[in-house]
Amino acid sequence: MLRSTVFAFGFIVTAAPAAKAHDEQALANAPAGDPYVKVSDVLPLPEFIPGLGTLFVDPATLPAGPFLAYDRDGRLSATIYMTPFDDLQNGTSFDGLNIGSHTVSSTDIYYNAGHPGVDKPHVHVVLFHDENAKDRLAE
Amino acid sequence: MICTRRHAVWLGVCAVAFVAGSRSVLAQPTATVEMRGSPRGVRIWYDPVGLAVSPGTTVRFINRDPGNSHTATAYHPANYDRRQRIPTDADPWDSDFLLPDEHFEVTLTAPGVYDYYCLPHEMSAMVGRIVVGTPGDAGWEGSSNDKSDVSEEVLAALPLVQRILSEGTVSREDGS
Ligand SMILES: [Cu+2]
Repeated sequence: MLRSTVFAFGFIVTAAPAAKAHDEQALANAPAGDPYVKVSDVLPLPEFIPGLGTLFVDPATLPAGPFLAYDRDGRLSATIYMTPFDDLQNGTSFDGLNIGSHTVSSTDIYYNAGHPGVDKPHVHVVLFHDENAKDRLAE
Repeated sequence: MICTRRHAVWLGVCAVAFVAGSRSVLAQPTATVEMRGSPRGVRIWYDPVGLAVSPGTTVRFINRDPGNSHTATAYHPANYDRRQRIPTDADPWDSDFLLPDEHFEVTLTAPGVYDYYCLPHEMSAMVGRIVVGTPGDAGWEGSSNDKSDVSEEVLAALPLVQRILSEGTVSREDGS
């Protein structure tokens, strides 16, 4: 009954590259450039998801991400990772993941039952990049 | 009226087409099933999960979850080669992905039990059951006995036919 391969790109767990030094300024404002794509352009999801904002992701890093979360003004507000339970349980680890900004004010971790893109039940790990970020992503 | 065109739904064409066609639908019985989700997507569900209607009823599925997209997809070989869990004479349907506030309609005529699921959320047991007519109706087909193509969680989430018939609508007991 695992019908998870209905989307334009598969969720092959790739060996994540070690966290790279990168130009934070390039990601500070939407749109995040290549190789990131706007999630709502490639998957049937709202452009702005309440709680997550407008997401960009490098498809090669699915499912874990990082997903870069922008507020309605296009400001990078959070970096989000999505890790399926059964991958973790089966021994897959997600190491050395990139981060959108090196400033992190708080982190939320919670369960998600699935959505297009990462349809297996999974964990959202949300790193907020400033103290008001959560409010700005809320709606 | 059935909006079958996959991408048309995304573009809102379905909604426009529905408005245009709604007058002719008014004479028929209608019912609504909402796709719902908790704010962070911790839980997702159809409301009601069990629904009894008379033959010929047009059922509207509408996504009331602001943070997710959902489908209503009949269990049928025509949809991703699934085992059939709708009456033999019924046409299978697949809403494709509905973004928030988008909807899809299907008219159910063949009496019997219809089971459907949400494409991205079947693993979280987002499934529903519609009972059309009653066991006394000519051609009635009861619920599927198959247990090989669906998970235990899915089977447990489908309300019993008798309960749907006696209560009319069944919502999940935790209120979700
Ligand atoms: Cu769903």
